Amino acid sequence: MMPYFKFDYFGFDFSLVIAFVIGIGFGFALERGGFGNARILAAQFYFYNMRVLKVMFTAIVTAMLGLFYFSWIGWLDLSLVYIGDTYILPQIIGGLLLGMGFVIGGYCPGTSVVSASTGRTDGMIYLLGIFFGVFVFGEMFPLLEGFYNSTNMGRVTLPEFLGLSHGMIVFLVVAMALGAFAAAEWGEKVLAKKNGRGVE
Amino acid sequence: MKEWFIKLSISKKLTLIAGLLGVLALFIENTSNKNVIDVNAKEMALSTIRNRDRIDPVILADWLIKENSDFTLVDLRSEKEFSEYNIPTSVNIPIENVLASDLMRNQKILLYGNDDVTSAQAWFILRSSNYKAIYILKGGMNGWKKEILFPTLAVNATSEFEKIKQISLHFGGTPQLASAEQSTTSAAIVKPNLPSLPKLTVPAGGKAVKKKKEGC
Repeated sequence: MMPYFKFDYFGFDFSLVIAFVIGIGFGFALERGGFGNARILAAQFYFYNMRVLKVMFTAIVTAMLGLFYFSWIGWLDLSLVYIGDTYILPQIIGGLLLGMGFVIGGYCPGTSVVSASTGRTDGMIYLLGIFFGVFVFGEMFPLLEGFYNSTNMGRVTLPEFLGLSHGMIVFLVVAMALGAFAAAEWGEKVLAKKNGRGVE
Repeated sequence: MKEWFIKLSISKKLTLIAGLLGVLALFIENTSNKNVIDVNAKEMALSTIRNRDRIDPVILADWLIKENSDFTLVDLRSEKEFSEYNIPTSVNIPIENVLASDLMRNQKILLYGNDDVTSAQAWFILRSSNYKAIYILKGGMNGWKKEILFPTLAVNATSEFEKIKQISLHFGGTPQLASAEQSTTSAAIVKPNLPSLPKLTVPAGGKAVKKKKEGC
């Protein structure tokens, strides 16, 4: 029965080994997906290369279908899968900050590590920036703590929040993803013609 | 497989599979309802009959003296009661929080409340949520007080009684002599004047359950 960690199939020390292996796999998949390249990532925000949307949505749909059907079959206890609490205001602000950094620097935190490890200088400088930001945030934390912990909504999931069945949410997300893929393919063709750029 | 399916490009095939699984999901009942559970009633009933899930206070005392630490001792009483006195090494998880706690399903867990009722309820909640090794301290805190902290010993204590006395003293208890109580007036027997509870030497809770780290 999954999740294995919660059922104590292995201890904390070995979980780090597993995390390391999964992390390497994740980084490898990102790099092979072209996510070590800031141009491809930033292009998403100008809509002439929709690769980020396609890859992320594919990952979301794959993981969602996997979790949903595993729990249906009985291999996985979904109630034990960790879901962080929702702090709606701080998370909106944090999301906007992350998005701004994403457009300006061309990476999100994960992809900057991928980029740095393939030897790109911009990725390495981006990483330094992350550590600097973490340091500043840590030093400022006493000032931010009140806001950081505000508007706690607890553990919220879409089925509970919208009052829909779990299967309905799965269906809607899949439909949304397939619609987004079709729109992305079409948009890329139109915009590529208009901008005179090829799809990178 | 049909020929038209083979002819499709790999991304179209994957799209089709995802779409089918998405539509199928519509017809699957809610899997996320964590409050409804299957209970193997027979298995649970059998384990109650066999009495295997109950631990005598004397045995627990023995484990604690030997510093046997392969189990987690859980105090189900309220925080206030817990801070007044608790059995060494126990952690406080009031019964209403027992499912939301960090207890692991493969952990050996020994429960106690004031009496057997609270721990029996928690035992049922935990067992039906797939916790494997749940035990109850026989008599709960009252049993612990009666047998370990304030045991009544016969005056002509044999070696067996001497042992109980030593155990009691180990936990800061006050063994009482049976004859002393018998000789007092009946008023004293109605409300036995129990000596005060041992002072907690460790801050309440002792070592907390090591929380497994999660999230990113």
